[in-house]
Amino acid sequence: MSAEFLFSLVNPLALLGWIALAATPLAPRWIDPVVGYILPGALSLAYCVLMLIHLADAPGGFQSLSAMQALFTDPDVALAGWIHYLAFDLFIGAWVLRDARRRGIAHWQVLLILPFLFLLGPAGLLAYLMLCLARRLVPSHQEDGLS
Amino acid sequence: MSFAASLAPPQSLSLRAEPILSRITLIMALSLCITLPAYALDTRLFQGENVWLKPIKFQLALALYFGTLALYATWLPESLTTSPKIRRLLIAAGLASFAEMIWIGGAAMFGTASHYNTMPLLYGVYALMGVLAVLLITVSLVFGLAFWRAKRSPLSEPLRLSMALGLVLTFVLTLIAAGTLSALSGHHIGTPITGSSLPLMGWSREVGDLRVAHFLATHALHAIPLIGLLAVAFLPQRLANQAVWAGASAFTALTIFTYIQALSGSPFL
Repeated sequence: MSAEFLFSLVNPLALLGWIALAATPLAPRWIDPVVGYILPGALSLAYCVLMLIHLADAPGGFQSLSAMQALFTDPDVALAGWIHYLAFDLFIGAWVLRDARRRGIAHWQVLLILPFLFLLGPAGLLAYLMLCLARRLVPSHQEDGLS
Repeated sequence: MSFAASLAPPQSLSLRAEPILSRITLIMALSLCITLPAYALDTRLFQGENVWLKPIKFQLALALYFGTLALYATWLPESLTTSPKIRRLLIAAGLASFAEMIWIGGAAMFGTASHYNTMPLLYGVYALMGVLAVLLITVSLVFGLAFWRAKRSPLSEPLRLSMALGLVLTFVLTLIAAGTLSALSGHHIGTPITGSSLPLMGWSREVGDLRVAHFLATHALHAIPLIGLLAVAFLPQRLANQAVWAGASAFTALTIFTYIQALSGSPFL
């Protein structure tokens, strides 16, 4: 299987996961396990297999930034790196949804952060952590839609 | 009522009195953790200044604005601040301010103009941001009217009056100043040659700069209650009321003066 073909396979798969995450309240009982665990698990599996096969033959390494750049000139390793992103971002996205539900944060607030989690991973995580911090410092004194 | 007692909010003064506004303030202030390092590390300039200066100014201004409203909300009747309509307005204003910051920060990231951007798509966003900005200052109007009507306020009369006037004037004067700014093609009236400007604020010292009037207009909600505070501290109540009216009139006159001054192409200082 070529790296190019695999790439065109994993991208829509991850996108589907993110769309499902946005729709979590519709079917939390199956979206949670499928997108939160099974999908990131499958992507992680693909990552492991790719690395096992291709890492040894790839140029460069992890010892310096330029060695790292050289490593990612190998298409299969670059693909594995990309799948690493997809898997971890999706896992974090699903965690944010679970965590927000546990804290009683309204889904619409998470929906506003979700695009950032999807497109700029850490920016979304930071936005969510800031929201949690603000809620912690300023607790709501009543049960309401604000929370 | 003593000076100190006139300031005592109904509950102990805390961020928790109005959680929506307090949380918006905190998140806005926390977001400076992103732009301040960017300011320190980024060497790109936009119109002669670090690209991140403008986002930082807006973050500070918005945090101050929402922080002030959160503080003032502690003196408003709880029935008002917890009413669903008001809560929806506050949430909408908060979201509008975050959208503004993403817009202004995004423009800085790409080293392009946020305001006065003439590229077709971005011009549309700019227009939308204008609508959101009006939503932002509407909170000031709503709070101002609430203070105006709150005859059984825990605040002493001159202070209540000064907060009502300050908040309403912030809305009215900002609408005029910022509305004019958005109708023009830039904040300068005239073409600066040397780029000489006041430190910190960046207002032009060569040509008219409408940002002066915008600044004063938007800070009416600080300036006029400050006049109220001073009046309560130093004057008997009847005189204090008159002092608030006089101070509010003078501040409005000053704002209008800087507005006309800028439109006629003269620098503020």
